[in-house]
Amino acid sequence: MASVIEFSKLSYQHPGAAAPVIQGLSLQIEAGSFVAVVGGSGVGKSTLLRAAAGLTEPTSGDVRFQAQPRPGRRTRAVVFQDSRLMPWRTVGGNVGYGLEGLGLDREEKSQRIASALQLTDMADYGRRWPHQLSGGQAQRVGIARALAVKPDLLLMDEPFSAVDAITRRNLQQELIRVWQASGAAVLFVTHDIEEAVFLADKVVVLGGHPANIVGSYDIGLPRPRDRGAAAFAAQVAAIAHTLEHH
Amino acid sequence: MSQAAHAIAPPQSSPQSAARNGPPPWRAAARRAAYGIAGLIIFIGIWKAALIWEWAPRGTLPDPFALPGTLAQEWQSGRLLPAIGSSLVHYFWGLALGTALGFGVGLAAATLPRFDLMQAYLARILRPIPPLAWVVFAIAWFKVSHAGAAFVIAIGVFWVNYFATYSAVRNVDPRYYELARAFGHGGYLARAFSVTLPAIAPGALSGVRTGIGQAWMTLIAAELLGVPGMGQEMNAAAGVGAYDAVVVYMLIISLVYTICDLAFSAVESKVLQWRP
Repeated sequence: MASVIEFSKLSYQHPGAAAPVIQGLSLQIEAGSFVAVVGGSGVGKSTLLRAAAGLTEPTSGDVRFQAQPRPGRRTRAVVFQDSRLMPWRTVGGNVGYGLEGLGLDREEKSQRIASALQLTDMADYGRRWPHQLSGGQAQRVGIARALAVKPDLLLMDEPFSAVDAITRRNLQQELIRVWQASGAAVLFVTHDIEEAVFLADKVVVLGGHPANIVGSYDIGLPRPRDRGAAAFAAQVAAIAHTLEHH
Repeated sequence: MSQAAHAIAPPQSSPQSAARNGPPPWRAAARRAAYGIAGLIIFIGIWKAALIWEWAPRGTLPDPFALPGTLAQEWQSGRLLPAIGSSLVHYFWGLALGTALGFGVGLAAATLPRFDLMQAYLARILRPIPPLAWVVFAIAWFKVSHAGAAFVIAIGVFWVNYFATYSAVRNVDPRYYELARAFGHGGYLARAFSVTLPAIAPGALSGVRTGIGQAWMTLIAAELLGVPGMGQEMNAAAGVGAYDAVVVYMLIISLVYTICDLAFSAVESKVLQWRP
């Protein structure tokens, strides 16, 4: 299968830091697949995601985008940990942000906004202001904003870590549905192993100083996944074991 | 939060819940009005007492009840309206010029690093000079004219807007710029229009509002120093001992300012309706 993005021998060192955060990391993400990256805090998960988003230039190595730019779409889109909605735009205006400058006419734009909101179950909220939303709703809008540009790669930086446990489970379930409907590949960063196993086709474990990939697990569990199943628990335990020993 | 508060707020007509949760809104408003009017009456009473027992030098304190008559007199003399008109011309030109320049220079300084460095010392030197100190030059350059008064007012308003805009831009959450880059709006103009301008609107508009007040203060002071307008009329009236006319002008100044401020806050709340 074709890959959408390829990191090769990626290293990153903060300006002025003594040692690199990440050194020599290589990873490919296949089109349409769901890859979760787990690791402790400060291990460079977010750096990896920011490099993929084009928000950080790697110190050495490179990030190659294989996906072809297509008219009316963006190759990648980001869902941030904080929903990062612009408070001065309505929900619909926020979802349309990435569509501006893509050469879409008004009709197409509102069509795309409506269907992104529909997909994330926020269809009735287009005219609300962000401050009127709960944390979980704001995060759905953040996802809708990313989906609206029809990306080949969806980059998600611990998107559910700031919402309560029940909302988080809901959002995780819905993310699977939304991902399958969109056909995009997902790079999902999290510190929650259970979340990674529940969501991903492949879980990549980051560890060490400087960080690199210390384990990679293909999750073969059938969907929808059952968190109570023994196989699920075994998978989580195996990844936790790898994490603890690096 | 606000929705929850709304849900438990008592319906206005229910006396039962009113007893539990305090008086209904109309009563609070009536109470506020009653106390406000009482305060005014007491103030006028003290004023009248000062007049009767001559607490101020004789002839310098007008009779509060004579003021409506004085207003009518000033109106009939044909001096009131031209004075107000003249002051408003200074006011709006000075305000518009000072606001536009202060906003523009503040925005440029906060977003263009080299320009910021270039203007830093200059701003430090010029800023502490009170606008009224410029009256000397205003008269030298523009003679006693509308332009001179507008110039002095614009200086005061400029600094207010300059600092409000500058600090508003500096306080924009950088995460929104990151968002702009992630969604294809990383260029200077795209960032400026999609992030900077809307994000600084509350700060910049509160600067404009402060400027509206500041301009009015400067205006009257500038006119007291000789530029034609209400300030000059006050000075002239004081010169012939017509202190009742002075007070009439003072009250009109208060009224015009209140109208300007109300009009602006209506515009402001329309523009900033996204705020909680």
